[in-house]
Amino acid sequence: MMKKIIFLAILIAALAAFFASSHPDGLDKVAESFGFAEKAIDHPAFMTGYSLPFLPAGHISTAAAGIIGVLFFLGLFQGIKIFFSAR
Amino acid sequence: MHIPDGFLDPKISGGLAGIAAVVLSYCFSKVRQAVTAVVPEAALAAAGKGAQSIMVGSRRVLTKFGQSFILKMGAVASLVFAAQMFNFPINSGTSGHLLGGVLAAVLLGPFAGSLVIAAVLLVQSFFFADGGLLALGANIINMAVFGALISYYIYVSLKKFFPEWLAIMVAAWLSVMMASFICALEIGFSGTIPLGTAISAMVRVHAIIGLAEALITIALFNLFRQVMPAQEET
Repeated sequence: MMKKIIFLAILIAALAAFFASSHPDGLDKVAESFGFAEKAIDHPAFMTGYSLPFLPAGHISTAAAGIIGVLFFLGLFQGIKIFFSAR
Repeated sequence: MHIPDGFLDPKISGGLAGIAAVVLSYCFSKVRQAVTAVVPEAALAAAGKGAQSIMVGSRRVLTKFGQSFILKMGAVASLVFAAQMFNFPINSGTSGHLLGGVLAAVLLGPFAGSLVIAAVLLVQSFFFADGGLLALGANIINMAVFGALISYYIYVSLKKFFPEWLAIMVAAWLSVMMASFICALEIGFSGTIPLGTAISAMVRVHAIIGLAEALITIALFNLFRQVMPAQEET
């Protein structure tokens, strides 16, 4: 049962990049319109902007980053379950 | 609606991080209560699980329900994360994406739901630089506390008067409105732009984004319920 949800999440993560709008989201648009967008400070992160560091930025890189994210959540909660079961 | 670092006064983001930590701890204790049970040591010893705890008489163990519930939390977290990557276009060069607070809270209950949204925000900030590190507390307040926890109680009160699907959709729209309003307050009180400007600009654009939130929430909710019938919530 759970497998179908996981499959759906991976499917959405893989396809989202190809169909997603590249326009700024609500907050970013407001920041641009009122001239405080440049105040944003981006901290360094492994997959900044949802793309893998060793792939050229693009839809494929974003899809891969999305799938990694989905798998990370599955692993995280599986880990929590194992951690609390073991006690 | 992920606030990056630099938009907020550090005093405000720090204070909000403190409040977020308190609320999430409370949510965690509620979920822990729901997924564990106190079992007498004697019963554990009989099951061969070893009874070496110094605690007298009994200890907390994860129940069977708890095990599947945590995995369900993982499935909802990955679904919300994936769906948030899908930016849909709205008017005039702007896009929006799902927040997922109402979806998570309706599927998992208010406490587990807001924990899941907070986990999504944490991972997005740490690994994807989507939302600032200092602003994480503010983002959790906006999208996990207002977007999931408080919105859940709006959904519950709406459900008394309207059918479930309508209550979910209205609560989803309101969750985006509330989150954008609180976000505008934070930006306004930080002195980034005047408060009135922030509120009118944020709430106006999110009134439209909220409509998509309502549609995506009900669609994913129906999909989830088809695959996994209603279970106990925490």
